[in-house]
Amino acid sequence: MSATDTPRVLSSRIVVFSAVGAALYAVLGLVSFAIPGTQLVAVRPAFALVPFIGKRFGPIAGFFTGFVGNCMIDQLQGFGFLAFWNWSVAVGLVGAFSAVLGAKALRHSNEVARIALTAVGALVATAAGLLFVITDMFIQGISFETFLVGNYFPALISNGLAVVILVPVLDAVWEPLSRQAGR
Amino acid sequence: MDVTPRYLGGDSFLGRRDPRVLLLVPLLYLVAVAGVGDLRGVAFCALFAFVYYRAAGIPWREVRKNWIFVLGFTAILVVVNSILTDALTVTARSPELFTVPLTGSVVSMATLSYSLTIFIRYVTLAMVGFPVAFAVAPNDMGVAFARLGVPQRLAYAVDLTFRFIPSVAASVRETIDAQRIRGFEHKRKGNPLVRLKSLKPVVIPVTVNALVEAEDTANAMDLRGFGGGRRTWLRELSFGPADYLVVAGFLLLAAGMTAAEVLGFSEEVWIP
Repeated sequence: MSATDTPRVLSSRIVVFSAVGAALYAVLGLVSFAIPGTQLVAVRPAFALVPFIGKRFGPIAGFFTGFVGNCMIDQLQGFGFLAFWNWSVAVGLVGAFSAVLGAKALRHSNEVARIALTAVGALVATAAGLLFVITDMFIQGISFETFLVGNYFPALISNGLAVVILVPVLDAVWEPLSRQAGR
Repeated sequence: MDVTPRYLGGDSFLGRRDPRVLLLVPLLYLVAVAGVGDLRGVAFCALFAFVYYRAAGIPWREVRKNWIFVLGFTAILVVVNSILTDALTVTARSPELFTVPLTGSVVSMATLSYSLTIFIRYVTLAMVGFPVAFAVAPNDMGVAFARLGVPQRLAYAVDLTFRFIPSVAASVRETIDAQRIRGFEHKRKGNPLVRLKSLKPVVIPVTVNALVEAEDTANAMDLRGFGGGRRTWLRELSFGPADYLVVAGFLLLAAGMTAAEVLGFSEEVWIP
């Protein structure tokens, strides 16, 4: 198998949903608003797309949506796709983790339980994936306290809000459509 | 909201290069500046970044807003992390210059030197990143990633992402207009939770419509046998002498700066 051969798991469906997810995150991700009383903490509603795509379309689509989508946002804003590469990896990991954590919720027949599990799974995936920004300690030379108080918690709170509110709604809307499509 | 990729530096020196060069250079530059704590070291790298950026021939008036955002955001990041608070871990000892009122953060020459190093690092990373956005033809992205060894299907997904961006942006505009006719108005002030909830009428339909259309695209690709055999690309890429020269220059820079860091020449904060 050569380096450019592709694994069988990467179906055309995953390719397309990965690309659509990344494009959606890149475009909607430019809409954000600051939390009053903070300086650099912004709520980005589109962040909810990452765990949603991960849960519905698998870890590759989830990682691609988060990683490439975040790179695209940085690129469109002018920073270049590598300036905050560790944050892009972190967002990608959120998508990949939510695929693993969301799989259980997908099998649940009770709708209320499924919604609750979806929200909790997405929040846990967000908390776990964003831990990767601990690499800022080596990249920016910040202390552990600053990573925790200045980077991790603000990002977790702002993105957690978007995830808890929007992922269950997106999932509930997509559920009947997905059944209709027989997926 | 204009998010469509713009091809502004197409006729420039960098615009004529193989797109793989423009993807490799930011990576090599990141390796070069990643561990540099010495202001002189990062200033030396900045010379390379500046010459490279100028070679892209990107008109200033077209990217002025992008630069204002980059410079503003980076300045805030550095000032908050170093001047206003003690967030940056500067181990080098130097005489105290002043103490910031309220936060009590002590600012020394070492703090200022390291802050400037971080500032230059991010701004120059943006300099080498701009040509990727403005001097690579968007339809060359897929083939460039594929020829860099990225699996064909993932490279095609990158290509598709660029193709989907204009249609997703158009869908966002249409949805906002349609929802406004129904009385929707995005709340620009107040509680973040309320503002977040107020975006549901835009985010949900745009996402669901895009995914429903994506099902059709995936079916169409399957029907045309996508992935049935090894994919070929219409666009042929080939490295010319100038391409090798640019990559070799940045490769040398990355190797030199890494060696300097390993030998302990560029890791320490420089105190003037």
